[in-house]
Amino acid sequence: MVLDRRRLPSLGRGLLLAGLVIYLLLPIAAVLLYAFSTRWTSHLLPDGYTASHWLQALADPRLVAVMLRTLGLALLVTLLDILLIVPAIYWQWIYNPRIRPHLELTAAIPFVLPYVVIAFGILSLSGQFLPAVQGTVGLLALSHGVVAFPFFYWAVDNAMAAADVALLNEVAKTCGASPWRSLVQVILPNISVGIATGSMLVFAVSFNEFALVQILVGARYETVSLYSLDLLTGTNADFNKLAVITMFTFVVVFTLSALSVYLNRGQGQTRRLMIGSRSKA
Amino acid sequence: MGSVSLRHITKHYGSVCALDQLCLDIPAGELVVLLGSSGCGKTTLLRSVAGLERPDQGQVLIDGQDVTALATRHRPIGMVFQSYALFPHMTVRQNIAFPLRARQRPAHRRASRVEELLELVHLGPQADRFPNQLSGGQQQRASLARALAASPQVLLLDEPLSALDALVRQQLREEIRRIQKTLQITTLFVTHDQAEAMAIADRVAVMRQGRIEQIATPLELYETPSTRFSASFVGNRNALELPLQDGRIRFGQVLDMAVPGLASRRAIVFFRPEDVEFSQNGVGHPAKIESKIFQGAHTRLHLVAEAEGLMGRFYADLPSRQAHSLEPGNTVKVSIHPSRARVFPADG
Repeated sequence: MVLDRRRLPSLGRGLLLAGLVIYLLLPIAAVLLYAFSTRWTSHLLPDGYTASHWLQALADPRLVAVMLRTLGLALLVTLLDILLIVPAIYWQWIYNPRIRPHLELTAAIPFVLPYVVIAFGILSLSGQFLPAVQGTVGLLALSHGVVAFPFFYWAVDNAMAAADVALLNEVAKTCGASPWRSLVQVILPNISVGIATGSMLVFAVSFNEFALVQILVGARYETVSLYSLDLLTGTNADFNKLAVITMFTFVVVFTLSALSVYLNRGQGQTRRLMIGSRSKA
Repeated sequence: MGSVSLRHITKHYGSVCALDQLCLDIPAGELVVLLGSSGCGKTTLLRSVAGLERPDQGQVLIDGQDVTALATRHRPIGMVFQSYALFPHMTVRQNIAFPLRARQRPAHRRASRVEELLELVHLGPQADRFPNQLSGGQQQRASLARALAASPQVLLLDEPLSALDALVRQQLREEIRRIQKTLQITTLFVTHDQAEAMAIADRVAVMRQGRIEQIATPLELYETPSTRFSASFVGNRNALELPLQDGRIRFGQVLDMAVPGLASRRAIVFFRPEDVEFSQNGVGHPAKIESKIFQGAHTRLHLVAEAEGLMGRFYADLPSRQAHSLEPGNTVKVSIHPSRARVFPADG
């Protein structure tokens, strides 16, 4: 058989893409199979399949508590970031563009410093000035808020740039709107996608975070990542249950990421989440 | 409707002076166009009236009330922006209703006012569309209706037509004028387009370097510009730099005029291309046609003439039917009536 020369490049691209997909999906598929396997010894596929690990995991009160704690923490961190960062970025855009370099620099810090270093920094600082907050969920939530700041900042900042909030704010003022009305009725509806995207990323960061939880609160506030470590290294190690939790975490984070990509599809478009609103063509 | 008085408005951006002791009085119901090139301060002036810029010095008075320190939202103004700036998440109806909601007008009055404005700007059928479903012209009409919604005393328009194509621009400028006359609303209109300024204004304020160079009716400005800058900026105009001798300016038989009281050795003579007279009876100065450009009703001839040891290049507009027989290389006899020329010192 003679291959058409013109088809070779597209064949190469197809093979490359297939290779990439297999490379990315293989570990996930392996974990999924392991979560459903009775035993998996010397064959390519498990020896047998069962849903009992899932049923046991869901019936485990410790795991349910861990899930709820992690969920609660992630929601708290998301709320904190929304309440603290949206007004700060709004302030930057409307009243004080000169603080932008400072915010950008701050947003780079979590990428530059390892989380372990950040955790010990927070521990040292809080020990010096506010020892009462050490070991509390509040301190953990604030710390997660800090490390998730860049993800939220860039999402909301881009949304504000796309919506041209400075102009919208001026228009609202000439229409007689108060700053509050302008923010609530004009600005927020136009940056809602950015807030939603940023929130999902913050949620995912907090949901998966390990170093800060381990160092700042430890077993006092067991989250999914700490529980996973326990299942991996503890005396009662249960790899099948660990596979179940890993799959669960993967599904949560993947769904949030996919939603984030979906909401941001179409560069340069201003999109809103308000009921009855339309996307900009 | 309220008058607008601007008294000694000064505004600096760092070391750059955007407005320099600027004074302007606009009687109620008048449409004044601020005309000038980029960076002359016209938008800064408009924004100062709106309260979006705070002048370093001076006062802004609307209907006799000093609003200099008043926040934008409390000023009796409506503003139309260059980029339409409709709220993208609201329909046309909601956009127009927004100023009424912001000023907490009762719902029934809001609804009737919105309907009134939709009719005024002919946007009834598009009332429930979102901005992205409208053409540029429709968006700007909606923006105009929104600016008028709260019945402001002063309407401010910041280059409202510059983002539109030529045909829509002309239609909309006539519509803006119609609405302004209907409502008798005091209006400040910023543009850098001379034709637009001439077509729409009661008076045109020519701005330069943060000051008003001249303010006059379009006809006055066109016919009798009072400064060299106004003469060179407004309309198509020839400019010849000529020596001044014994109180007269001569350029062969093209131009010979007395210029009493001009204390300068050289002068700039401005004259319009349509004021170049083509002789039918051999009187005039010979000028050679360098090129010919058909422009529809008129044809532009680029001419060169030599006199008094000087070579002068200028252009003339001629009805196309008369220019039909003229070709580049031909020589014609031309002259300019002294009353059609404006003279300013060359070093002024």
